Amino acid sequence: MTQAWVLGQRALREGWRTPEALLPTLFIPLFFLVVNVGQAAKIFPAASTEFLYGQGYGAFQLPSSLLLAASFGTAALFLVEDIEGGYFDKLRASPVPRSAIVLGRLIAEVAKGALIAAAIVLLGVIFGISIASGPVGFVLLVILTALWAAVFVGFMQLIALKTRSAAATNSAGLVFFPLLFLTPNFVPRDLLTRPMEIAATLNPVTYLMEALRSLILRDLVWADILPGFAVVFVLGALMLYLNVRMIRNYD
Amino acid sequence: MDDVAGVIDQQPPGPEWPGNAAVRAEGLVKHYESRTGTIEAVRGVDLTVEAGEVFGFLGPNGAGKSTTVRMLTTLLSITAGSAFVAGIDVARDPDAVRHRIGVALQEAGLDPRQSGRELLILQARLFGIAPDAAAARTEELLALVELEDAADRRIKDYSGGMKRRLDLASALVHRPEVLFLDEPTTGLDPASRLTVWDEVRRINERGTTVFLTTQYLEEADALCDRLAIIDGGLIVREGTPAQLKADLRERHGLDSDPSLDDVFLDATGRTRSRVAGDVQEVTS
Repeated sequence: MTQAWVLGQRALREGWRTPEALLPTLFIPLFFLVVNVGQAAKIFPAASTEFLYGQGYGAFQLPSSLLLAASFGTAALFLVEDIEGGYFDKLRASPVPRSAIVLGRLIAEVAKGALIAAAIVLLGVIFGISIASGPVGFVLLVILTALWAAVFVGFMQLIALKTRSAAATNSAGLVFFPLLFLTPNFVPRDLLTRPMEIAATLNPVTYLMEALRSLILRDLVWADILPGFAVVFVLGALMLYLNVRMIRNYD
Repeated sequence: MDDVAGVIDQQPPGPEWPGNAAVRAEGLVKHYESRTGTIEAVRGVDLTVEAGEVFGFLGPNGAGKSTTVRMLTTLLSITAGSAFVAGIDVARDPDAVRHRIGVALQEAGLDPRQSGRELLILQARLFGIAPDAAAARTEELLALVELEDAADRRIKDYSGGMKRRLDLASALVHRPEVLFLDEPTTGLDPASRLTVWDEVRRINERGTTVFLTTQYLEEADALCDRLAIIDGGLIVREGTPAQLKADLRERHGLDSDPSLDDVFLDATGRTRSRVAGDVQEVTS
């Protein structure tokens, strides 16, 4: 665990020293939030839209922005740099558990994800969004977003390890957009057309989005929240396993 | 420094290994699968490096030098044959091998966003050295490779020579028994190359076995106790530089001692003709 922590500190320094890679993860989700609210807020007025629970449409859209912010996977691009520059081989030639090599980056990704999620939520609060589940809900919101960041970067690291290419890794990140749009992104699941509803039900990101949305719009409704955490824990364990296996077999 | 020694003392024992060679490979083979078929990068390498030697591993581009080094340093799987490093079976117990070796590969494996000091402390911590001992070892190594003044600068601002020296230092944090250097002076200016040579000699004088690949024959001549020449994935010559030169002189009935360049060209099936001492032509 010490080695994972030492590598995590290194990955955090790496992120901190490359603000140009970090800042878009804050601004682009905020841009989408503003644009989506601008386009659809009049269709769903707060006073007469039941699924908004009295808040504006921005509160409904905030989870999409949080998930987008957590799905840039910049750590995987840093990994490609390590591979291309030879530092990854240096690590592999050291007696470092392969799980520590993966966990180091995931620890840093969770920390960065938490920071960005907190910043976006606080900006949302400044512009009138309230977190109906209170301070505990705020913390859960940040943790869930940060854990998703680790899951998604775990997926992108698989691509990085397999292809060893920055271009391929970057392109793989685009897979998030179909995942995002096959969710109840603009309206709740029961208002989707039947094919979209089926697709959304099969999409694990839906449960994350519904958990985040519930934390913003409602009190602590565990029936909504727990499936979101189940998704990140199951997918997180799977990504960790696949990453470690790929590093062990890396030739 | 007690902590550093402690880490080495606690290394897990490897399988039994007869003899005290630092490196021994028998029938070492590496095949790659590609779209065009199987590539035989290394086709059965046998070699022995005694403890305390500086061993040179020479060969033209694509001969299998780096592939062999990558197998010996646990970075590549072994297709067939066996390899023991510091008495440990590389295939059976790679982690124990990693505790005992230092590795500086062809492309200096450094993180450009860290400072030299940060990188060395990190490397020491990865080898299980306690924070205080890691800091002390870092200062020692910075002095050894004469980078004290640049220790807090980001590595991206280092020159090529400085990066090589830092890479060398990072391979030494845990006082390895065997140090693998893959073309450590490629791309360096002559002054930096001489500095690296001096450092390799100093490291070897302290008891570390050095396994060095190089394309520079004068480097091998200056540094190595023994050397092997690999071509087409097979060892084609092995011995001390003096033995190899004497052998060529005897086989070709030359009047004077040939150079290591001549040995290399002869061993790899290349020839050259000289006109008034100048190289006129090199052919395969």
